[in-house]
Amino acid sequence: MNANRLKLLGILLLVATALVPVFAHSRFILHMFTLIFFYIALSSAWNIPVFGGKMSLGHAAFFGLGGYTAAILYVKYAVSPWIGLAAAVLVALIGGAVMTLPLIRLRGPFFTLASIAFAEALRMIAIDWRSMTNGSVGLNIPFRPGFAQLTFQSGMPFFYISLLLAVVVVVIAHKIRYSALGYHLQASASNDEAAQALGVNTKKAHFIAFLWSSGLSGLIGAFYVFFIYVVEPNLIFSLTLFSLQPALNGIIGGIGTIWGPVIGAIVMTPLGEYLRFYLGTIQQGLNYVVYGVVLIVTVNFIPGGIISLIKLKVLKSKGASGSVIKTKEAA
Amino acid sequence: MELIVQVLVSGLLIGGVYALISIGLNLIFGVVRIINFAHGDFLMVAMYAAFWLHILAGADPYLSALIVLPGLFLFGMLVQRVIVQPIQEASANMQIFATVALSLILQNLALIFWKGDFRTVQMPYAMLTFDVMHIIVSVSRLIAFLVALASILLLFAFLKYTFTGKALRAIVEDNTVARMMGIKVERLYLLAFGLGAAFTGLGGILLIPFSAVYPTVGAPFTLLAFIVVVLGGMGSMGGTFSAGLFIGVVEAFGGTFVSPALKEAIYFGIFILVLLVRPQGIFGKGKGTEEIGLK
Repeated sequence: MNANRLKLLGILLLVATALVPVFAHSRFILHMFTLIFFYIALSSAWNIPVFGGKMSLGHAAFFGLGGYTAAILYVKYAVSPWIGLAAAVLVALIGGAVMTLPLIRLRGPFFTLASIAFAEALRMIAIDWRSMTNGSVGLNIPFRPGFAQLTFQSGMPFFYISLLLAVVVVVIAHKIRYSALGYHLQASASNDEAAQALGVNTKKAHFIAFLWSSGLSGLIGAFYVFFIYVVEPNLIFSLTLFSLQPALNGIIGGIGTIWGPVIGAIVMTPLGEYLRFYLGTIQQGLNYVVYGVVLIVTVNFIPGGIISLIKLKVLKSKGASGSVIKTKEAA
Repeated sequence: MELIVQVLVSGLLIGGVYALISIGLNLIFGVVRIINFAHGDFLMVAMYAAFWLHILAGADPYLSALIVLPGLFLFGMLVQRVIVQPIQEASANMQIFATVALSLILQNLALIFWKGDFRTVQMPYAMLTFDVMHIIVSVSRLIAFLVALASILLLFAFLKYTFTGKALRAIVEDNTVARMMGIKVERLYLLAFGLGAAFTGLGGILLIPFSAVYPTVGAPFTLLAFIVVVLGGMGSMGGTFSAGLFIGVVEAFGGTFVSPALKEAIYFGIFILVLLVRPQGIFGKGKGTEEIGLK
């Protein structure tokens, strides 16, 4: 399979996915696909700073900032959700800058830890700031279907909105990865001192990567709130749902690659929903136990994630031609 | 004025327990060089163990330490052997995820078995207080502080005067050289992890008479212990102790004069402040900070 064929295959898959609502009318299936698309988008946005080796476990912060901004503007000030989306991006960008500026020089676990703390602090503030956020009860998006209200009777519009969102974020991540910024990030990840010695402003690269990542996460969060009609602190700032889950998708799919988070989201979202709904009624929390086990197995046995297995397979079937690996990595 | 002294006393008392938990983390961190994101969950496990020993066997929480602490010691060794050792040479990011996964598993196993309810041990002495010059001191909190202090001193003595303790300190200083000197590093990793878990477990035992246990009770403690360790200087036990007391006091004042709900926000503020002003920690030299990612 050469690069062109892969591209064709990708486009065909995308078209086939886009046609799903035509054939499948079940609300459940649409919901599942929408959820997968949201997670593809969020995991890919999370992945952008990972090109530079910065792994955040606090992306719920930006997701939640975006969600709260759009919801508060709409519910409390009757601002159109479409304007709210722009405001959500702006606030998430500010959040990204506030978090990243002091933390940018931290590496590895300390950065990760500080990012958790940041998201948790925001969750606490959202619970405490009752006049604005309505505390832990949260805010409900009134159900007034209509394009202007970003609220819809059927599940179809959000299917396409989230699909578009996923495509946009993946394309942006791809563009970043193969831009000067992407190479600066990768240089910093493999050897920060050497990159700096060669004149790369690695701090700036990390900062910009984080702005992209946080801004996109804020946008996704704002859409998500209108998808589920509610914003509450323990949901939207949830450590497991929106900080750990995107990271988990990235690791299990293949860390630091473009397609890893996509594959991870496609595999893990249905698995998680299945465990939650079919077994979750009996055992709350079982899905996370399974996630944890999958994660430990991945880290120990396939640190490159699912994508590394696929690459291996392609390599074997194609008789070990080096170019296959190259194109796969470039894809 | 009385209020300030009262808050100061409560802060110091709880700070002793924080120091104990953080020293457990620092021991694991300093010796094994791994960031244990499941640290607070060890505390949760110990609290549940004490709770169930009390409910099912009628054991006094303090007495249950006789079973819970060896149990946690073994559990810590098991974690080191099964989860940490295979990824000891892996990248820091992979190590994070192994312990994050452990935390996820422990918290959710607790949720599966015991639901999300807040459970408390009702002991007759839990509400006992006494009065010193109009300052009210809770007996169980005083016990917590004194036991924490005593066990920290015991650990100091162990590290300072026994051969094994010296070997542990040698690993903290430089594990390559320690290995060359014939120290069985892997075996001491097991010991350090076991001890770290047991210290944290003791923290749980001391907390259970006056705090509820629930599946995610440990999560804030992971964060707290890290902040204490960073503040006190990594690998510095004395620094960790002072930093633990300090955080206890700050939290008490924040809780009284700002808002108890903003605990985490206050932690985060302190964390950022320390990292900005003195990343090598306030009290310690901060050995090993370079390789772990602080610079």
